[in-house]
Amino acid sequence: MQLHAAASAGTVDSPRRAAPEPLLSLHGIGKRFLAVTALHGVSFELRRGEVHAVCGENGAGKSTLMKIVSGQLQPDEGHIAFKGTRTRFASTREAEAAGIAMIHQELNLVPHLSVAENIFLAREPRRGWWIDRAKLQAGATACLQRLGVDIAPAQLVRTLSVAQRQMVEIAKALSLNAEVLIMDEPTSSLTETETEQLFKVIHELKRAGVGVVYISHRLDEMAHIVDRVTVLRDGRHVSTDDFAATTVDSIVERMVGRPLEDKFPPATRMPTTEVLMSVRGLARKQVFEGIGFELRRGEILGFAGLLGAGRTEAARAVFGADPPDAGVVQLGGQVLRIRSPRDAIRHGIAYLSEDRKHDGLAIDMPLVHNVSMANMAAVSGRAGFIRFKEEEASARRFVDTLAIRTPSARQLVRLLSGGNQQKVVIAKWLFRDSRVLFFDEPTRGIDVGAKYAIYQLLDELAAQGIGVVLISSELPEILGMTDRVAVFHAGRITGTLDTRRTSQEEIMHFASGRPARAAA
Amino acid sequence: MTDKQKDLFQKFAALASLIALTAVFSFVSDSFFSVGNGMTVALQVTSIAYLGIGATCVIITGGIDLSVGAILALAGVVAALAVKAGLPVPLGMLCGLVVGALCGLVNGLCVTLLKLPPFIATLGMMMVARGVALQITDAKAIGGLGEGFAALGNGSLGRVVKIGTDGFPDVVFPGIPYPVLLMIALAVAVAVLLNRTTLGRFIYAIGSNTEAARLSGVDVRGVTVFAYVLSGTLAGLTGCVLMSRLVTAQPSEGLMYELDAIAAAVIGGTSLSGGVGTISGTVIGAFVIGILRNGLNMGGVSAFTQQIIIGLVILLTVWIDQMRHRR
Repeated sequence: MQLHAAASAGTVDSPRRAAPEPLLSLHGIGKRFLAVTALHGVSFELRRGEVHAVCGENGAGKSTLMKIVSGQLQPDEGHIAFKGTRTRFASTREAEAAGIAMIHQELNLVPHLSVAENIFLAREPRRGWWIDRAKLQAGATACLQRLGVDIAPAQLVRTLSVAQRQMVEIAKALSLNAEVLIMDEPTSSLTETETEQLFKVIHELKRAGVGVVYISHRLDEMAHIVDRVTVLRDGRHVSTDDFAATTVDSIVERMVGRPLEDKFPPATRMPTTEVLMSVRGLARKQVFEGIGFELRRGEILGFAGLLGAGRTEAARAVFGADPPDAGVVQLGGQVLRIRSPRDAIRHGIAYLSEDRKHDGLAIDMPLVHNVSMANMAAVSGRAGFIRFKEEEASARRFVDTLAIRTPSARQLVRLLSGGNQQKVVIAKWLFRDSRVLFFDEPTRGIDVGAKYAIYQLLDELAAQGIGVVLISSELPEILGMTDRVAVFHAGRITGTLDTRRTSQEEIMHFASGRPARAAA
Repeated sequence: MTDKQKDLFQKFAALASLIALTAVFSFVSDSFFSVGNGMTVALQVTSIAYLGIGATCVIITGGIDLSVGAILALAGVVAALAVKAGLPVPLGMLCGLVVGALCGLVNGLCVTLLKLPPFIATLGMMMVARGVALQITDAKAIGGLGEGFAALGNGSLGRVVKIGTDGFPDVVFPGIPYPVLLMIALAVAVAVLLNRTTLGRFIYAIGSNTEAARLSGVDVRGVTVFAYVLSGTLAGLTGCVLMSRLVTAQPSEGLMYELDAIAAAVIGGTSLSGGVGTISGTVIGAFVIGILRNGLNMGGVSAFTQQIIIGLVILLTVWIDQMRHRR
């Protein structure tokens, strides 16, 4: 208790630099989700007035760690010390009250309320039973001014741009008088000038002694603001260095530095030079432009890049799920006109969504209904009467060939495991005799054994002459499974590389929009 | 419990309550459990059942149709006006059906093309259709429609009448009323449509996961429009049958019937979040409501108390349904 009081006093009086103890320190944090261990004994510390970057691939444990810091999750092992005192936050509210605020990647604002109301949501200044509007407005104005942004407190959030919303989120964090600010991919939706504005604010915060945890995939922009960098991999702490003493290259190496074991089956496919499908000049306003690639018979083409770089968006455009504004898609020499998924499916193009449950499967329907959904005509007569025996027989055929583990073809998809659900989606498109398959993160949320089976399947499909596009955020997967890889950055393809002659580092360079360095 | 057993349980629960109600009312009132009263109940249930069948299809797609009560009135008065204007009865009733179908089409287009929430689209249609029905009739009932118009609603098949020894006719068997036959035919036809055809499969698929259905190449728009057209057409049919039964076309007929239809579907296990529902369940649901009304009537329970009881029954059955899903 005494210690706590001393620490609190220290925040006011002592000069920032001289403060010997870290503002926030994590010791041996461990966290488990069912069978999966997300964090193994991770330690981390944050000083006053520093910007500390946390890097790692998707799934390295960054988000879990930050959720623990901000009180969303509680650690299974280890402890947190804030200003020298061991603490335990049971909720984000507690963490916020203590002075730790998190700005989420997906913004948590209420669109139909005003900026001021959002900033003080659930903490509105009151006068008796009523909200003190004047105080609310004044407080919000003060926060926004401190940020130097030109947003009216009375404006409704839904009328703001994404960047402005980001600023409102930051203003909200400031209004909490946060001493620790966690920013998760704050620049992912900002333009260059907006990013600069944000960096100015971050410098301002540093000077005020706020500790900033900065999570970003954009390593190239970190040089402007980051003091130290911690790398996580597979839920473990890899390194913590002064940013000035390290290089982007060595950070990337440490991020991806996982030895490639036999996680991937040997390739049986024989890539040819025959072009199966070609896409040219594909564009959708403000999402991607000038997308062009060729898919060859017998190959697996990878789509690499960061989340939101346009990989999924381009695939969905080819599939007609979100029709493009411009572009030519040719399949087997024929120019296709695709305005809807129905058109694409008719031509033999299939897209396997990254979010199976949301738009890949009707999980409350039986396996057999899901398998036949894209090809009902094949199992029904003229008047649309379903030939049930035939339908079930074909579903059973795929249950056997894809080794789907299910008690019966009539089992509800909801009750299957993630890997088997994925196989059901694949079965749906194989039953439709697809010629080109876009696999969007096909192994997300699937355990290792099932992953191997999916990889084998991708290889077999390619060997049968089906064009396979593998969209993946996991670089090892891209390197282990593809023949060529198109790297996306900010809505463009920045490079198409031969997988055998490239490296994770090179792909990362293209993915972070720094092709010049990589080409050198 | 497997899902099959759960389904059986749900159906059994609705069916069990139906049987329990019948037993209780038979015990309380001597005249409840008789062929004559059975036919009366069946006849009373027909309107809810027709509308409920349509409502089930719409609700399975994840929508809702609030306009059927008003469409019923509009279709009924159009049919009556057409007959009054000299059209033969079958053609006049066809006009009623077409009006119903058109209203359903507008509903469907509002939902799919204008992307209005189904609740709002059909709420608008409910007011418009009712308004038109009142407008074209001057809010007056249309009478004097003749025997031909009354045949559909009042005729029956297999009526056996013996002339007694005293010379008065004695009804041995009241016959099965045409509306009841129609109800059976419709229930079977739509059940087959839902369970045995690709169209039915798509209706379930859309309700289960619209986006997955769309990305699987299902014509989501077309199928959704179909569901609303079916609901509208059945509302038109309900209007014709109901007005024929009364031999009067009332523009204010069918008030709140949409809620009875939805209640029947829900009692029968149709989920308002879509993807789940059966015609057999809805027919059972319609009978639960019908028997409650009839039995309470015979027991001398006031109309107000009836409402209270039916309201509670709906809450109870849906709560049981929720419990089933939570497990």
